[in-house]
Amino acid sequence: MTTRSLGQFYPVSSPVHALDPRAKILAAAVFVAGLFLIDTTLGLLFVAAALTALVAVSRIPAGTFLRILRPVLFIVALTILIQVLFSREGLTLIEWGFLEVHSGGVRKGFFLALRILLLVSSAGLLTATTAPVALADGIEDLLSPLKRVRFPAHEVAMMMTIALRFIPTLGEEAEKIKGAQAARGADFSEGGPLRRARSLVPVLVPLTVGAFRRADELAEAMESRGYRGGEGRTRYRELRFRKGDALALAVTLLVLLVGILL
Amino acid sequence: MRLELRDVKYVYAPGTPFEVEALRGVSLAVEPGEVLGIVGGTGSGKSTLVQHMNLLLTPTSGEVLVDGVDARSLEKRELRRRVGLVFQFPESALFAPTVEEDVAFAPRQLGLDEEEVQERVRESLRALRAGDLAARSPFALSGGEKRRAAIAGVLAMKPEVLVLDEPTAGLDPATREELLALILDLREAGISVVLVSHDLDEVAEVADRLCALHEGRVRAMGTPAEVFYRDPTRAPATVRVASLLKESKPEIIGVPVRFEETLAALRTLPGV
Repeated sequence: MTTRSLGQFYPVSSPVHALDPRAKILAAAVFVAGLFLIDTTLGLLFVAAALTALVAVSRIPAGTFLRILRPVLFIVALTILIQVLFSREGLTLIEWGFLEVHSGGVRKGFFLALRILLLVSSAGLLTATTAPVALADGIEDLLSPLKRVRFPAHEVAMMMTIALRFIPTLGEEAEKIKGAQAARGADFSEGGPLRRARSLVPVLVPLTVGAFRRADELAEAMESRGYRGGEGRTRYRELRFRKGDALALAVTLLVLLVGILL
Repeated sequence: MRLELRDVKYVYAPGTPFEVEALRGVSLAVEPGEVLGIVGGTGSGKSTLVQHMNLLLTPTSGEVLVDGVDARSLEKRELRRRVGLVFQFPESALFAPTVEEDVAFAPRQLGLDEEEVQERVRESLRALRAGDLAARSPFALSGGEKRRAAIAGVLAMKPEVLVLDEPTAGLDPATREELLALILDLREAGISVVLVSHDLDEVAEVADRLCALHEGRVRAMGTPAEVFYRDPTRAPATVRVASLLKESKPEIIGVPVRFEETLAALRTLPGV
């Protein structure tokens, strides 16, 4: 009965959590696009300040939010390193053998690092404040105009929802199987990478078998409750685009505009 | 061996919004050679509790003692051999191409020589009356056969304490009777058994002592008669019948719990 977070969703109630998922998805998309139009460090810093304020409003603890950024820290560090070491713009700051550090490189490295961090932060804030199912609903709704060109928007969203829904279930199942094999003397932390990979076979085989069984059961359960695809299907939770959502989008655009102009 | 839990507390996902206090200070001992029944409703902490017995879960506070020694100081693999844990629905962890190989997994992990491994596979399959399944694929078996193969896979480690989490859940009556008989055979052989179940009738038949869990705490502990007669409304059918009849027939003596005991007690009534 391990209860764990679904992806990165952090369930507290805040004005950001309460926004319509479509508004958040659109805002995040616009934000990401806008980032590439900002070409000054000052502009990025302004946008970063606005995003920091938004994270504070979303009531996600700073530590939790920083954990979202951890996976990209390596890429950020690498970007800075490459810029600092190989860029030959601006004043020479340090010369040490064949290594030269120029002021332009430092500035560029910082600029790119900030841009990457902002990209990931905006996506992270979206997934941290939007329940996976709401996210899928939002995507379905935003994709629905494509139904006219026969794009299966409902089916894609349903598959996403199911996949998201079963991540924790499969995670729990994997934990259970790992426990059962550990009770039979399996050790998952011993030996080199090859041996460790092999020690996962007793977990992966039953996990896969179980996943197929679950898929069958789910399909049967859905059919027996009359599921026949997206045609004419209504929703329990209707998405509602309110004034606040429009306001949020407008503010996002405004912040980006200021950032671009700075 | 004697397995003791002292004031064990366990919190799932501490420090997050998903925090759950599953065990709130549980103390109990599994005496050598006894069958200890653990009963309690869903969410009472039974499954969390049993995973502490071989330290698959480490207590948030409190300790687990093996013959008086802190279990954390023991080698993990050795501890897990001595305390065999059969999870709920253990058949979901079957993975090898044949039952034989699946049962051989644990003894091979112990580093035994092949002859000894084969001997243990035969022995444990025989104990579960599953010898004829040896060469078959575990995925092609019936539910009851799978369950028996999975339990054999733990028994093959020759544990000193066997912990069974809901071993009879979803089984047909015949397989269930066989499993209960196996538990008594194991006790006969000096192995302690911890039987987790929410079926009071089956616990009544085999348990020497009983521990009732409720919301992560021990609500009652003692012999089945002590625990069940304290609150006969939450007792197996035998105890409910006997305690109801006792109200009008005080000549029923004792506190029968097992089916045979209850039958014998009722037969003392005139005209029965």
